Amino acid sequence: MSGFHALHGISSPARVAVVATGVVSPLGFGLDETLVSIRNATDCVRAVTQFDVTDCRCKTAAQVPDQRLLGHHQEGRKRPRLHRASHMMIAAMKELFERDPEFKPELTVIGTTSGGMSFGEDYYRAVHRHQTLRRSPEWIANYPPQKAVLDAQEEFGISSPCLVIANACASGTNAIGHAFECVRSGKHQRVLTGGYDALSQLVFVGFDSLQAATPEKCRPFDRDRSGMVLGEGAGVLALEDLAAARKRGAKILGEILGYGISTDNHHLTQPDPSGSGPRRAMEDALKTAEINSGDVDYINAHGTATRFNDAAEGKAIAELFDRVPVSSTKSMIGHSLGAAGAIEAVVCLLALQSQVLPPNINFRALDHDLSLNIVANQSRDAKIDVTLSNSFGFGGTNASIVIGKAPA
Amino acid sequence: MSLCIAGAGWITPLGRGIDHVWDRLERGDEASTQSISGKKDTKNYSGFLVPEKMLKDLPSHARLRRASAISRFAAAAGMDAIAQAEAAGLTIDMTRLALIFAASNGGVIYTKRFYQGIVEAGAQSASPLLFPETVFNAPASHLAAILGINGASYTIVGDGAVGILAIKMASDLLEAQSLDFCLVVAAEEADWILCDAYRKWRLLKSQRPIVPFREPPLGTILSEGAGALLLARKGFARVVSIHAGGNFSHQRQAPHILGRILHDLRDPDACMIASANGTFVDLAESEAIRRISPEAVVYSPKPALGESVGASAMWQIIVAAQALKMKRLPPVLHSDHDAGLRFSTNSTPTGPSAIVLSCGLNQQAAGLRLSI
Repeated sequence: MSGFHALHGISSPARVAVVATGVVSPLGFGLDETLVSIRNATDCVRAVTQFDVTDCRCKTAAQVPDQRLLGHHQEGRKRPRLHRASHMMIAAMKELFERDPEFKPELTVIGTTSGGMSFGEDYYRAVHRHQTLRRSPEWIANYPPQKAVLDAQEEFGISSPCLVIANACASGTNAIGHAFECVRSGKHQRVLTGGYDALSQLVFVGFDSLQAATPEKCRPFDRDRSGMVLGEGAGVLALEDLAAARKRGAKILGEILGYGISTDNHHLTQPDPSGSGPRRAMEDALKTAEINSGDVDYINAHGTATRFNDAAEGKAIAELFDRVPVSSTKSMIGHSLGAAGAIEAVVCLLALQSQVLPPNINFRALDHDLSLNIVANQSRDAKIDVTLSNSFGFGGTNASIVIGKAPA
Repeated sequence: MSLCIAGAGWITPLGRGIDHVWDRLERGDEASTQSISGKKDTKNYSGFLVPEKMLKDLPSHARLRRASAISRFAAAAGMDAIAQAEAAGLTIDMTRLALIFAASNGGVIYTKRFYQGIVEAGAQSASPLLFPETVFNAPASHLAAILGINGASYTIVGDGAVGILAIKMASDLLEAQSLDFCLVVAAEEADWILCDAYRKWRLLKSQRPIVPFREPPLGTILSEGAGALLLARKGFARVVSIHAGGNFSHQRQAPHILGRILHDLRDPDACMIASANGTFVDLAESEAIRRISPEAVVYSPKPALGESVGASAMWQIIVAAQALKMKRLPPVLHSDHDAGLRFSTNSTPTGPSAIVLSCGLNQQAAGLRLSI
């Protein structure tokens, strides 16, 4: 990227600050609750209550409690009709704008994989059973993936154009990465970014059918790992040109330093075992950040706990980094798909602010084939200046971002 | 930064290939509709579908063996765009190319089939072969594998305006990364469940024609296919300005946003490639055009090609580029009523620029201006 700027006579790319965030996940509502859960190494995985999983191999997921999620947002005629995903986005954005009410985005870039999928399921089931479709207009109107973002924007009076990235499980990190590039290039000064996804039966059964989901505990990088569990949530970040943010006196929470994206054409659902795709994404992220692998103090891994992902990602990390502490947030909250990269970016920011390494829970013994420094089972204090967060997805999409401490 | 169209691919219910589809539009042809049936005892719908023979020369790549229609449309259009650019003498380095795929409903046929299995026979019968093809970025993944793209690949989703947002993203990528090319592909496939949903949403009519700009609107007919543009720093048409628009929470707000887009893109010499499809969109567009650009000659391809939702804006951009290249517009079909607009008729000449205006059915609007 520096080549582009030199080519176009631009002295240096803009630095990209994170000026506010908001998060809703099984770890909690908001940054404070999330940090407490991280410190306590909370396992948020429970029996699924959203739909029937009797016939599934896996019967657990990490869920955002409906009572709390919907309870806060029932006022008004329109609210009860919205999808749970919209409520998650509204709750996450509420925290963000409470933290920085002056943030006015010019562009919104959000990742998701399945939007309001459960409304599509409701619609299909009603058609299948020849039931009355009295609620069908609201299911249809609230089903599209952009709807949760537009609902949340409307709630806070934002009408900025909205790019919704659907790069499978890397969507959230891709969204943050693209938003970073938009600010870094000088094309935009303020971009709202993040990701969301809500559990749905179709996706749950899909991963179960692939035998990617486990009936046991989620144990990323463990010798006996047997698969992933699903999760849900929303995370949003306010990115701003650092100089502009400083000028208006915004609180700087951290800095996005680099971004890398690669495509692995090995298989639609399986990574190249060599780890070349993840490796290229991480290398590009480091290159953009203009740092060496030795500068990274913590890696928030994609770490789904599937055999294939963890083997390929672990190999790539071991090749590039020398015993950097690694953990997967998915051990605590499962895989929240389009939200994962955004929530994990927020976790990285909390790690930087609190100087705490988030834990990789349910861990018993490292895979013999991997050489990693896992933050096993408990959070621990550490000096952290730079973090790297990975997200990889179906379709062979790989994304990595580098997040640094708030600059002095 | 210069952002140009260096190649294009087009697969529609009227045929495949830029010149072929363009000739048919100029002749005033309208695609045939076919009956789309659901389960027994359900209503049949009309849709503009892509004839199967249009895909017969796709390469026998392993990725396309089980791929959905939307993936095959995307592959056809994407490869055609690359081939057109190469035929014009461009050498394309795939390591310096990013892929952006845009859709609205995505792989709905396999998604429905997968979920149907769950509902009818339980989760244990769910197909692990179908599930990966239901993911929004499956078409992009297949196309990347076929073309050997291993850098940036993005799938973006939205309503009818998503094609313009994809061009905006391509512009951002070419500006931010050291890339030379961006292949932007937009595709959609039609299915009974979509027709049923759009009818219940009161946007669909049961039979053609789509009558544009009629008040009150009579409804639209769904369509399928794909469009692709290879964007580079040199090419036969230039993207002068992109307006990523905004969002409207009520249909009554759409004319205001469209007016703002038109105002910002305004060019007295530009023709207007509208997204009028026989729904509320037409009234919003006509109000905005009458207010901001009353003299503009207006064309909408949707009466001839149908409403292809996620692919529709890309089709409009292809029409705009081709119109500028040929210096004339096709006739607007079924426009023999007074809408207070200047519709294009047979071979209406164009000026040096064209504005593409896109108002989606689900709250998004955007526009761009091309010149030659």
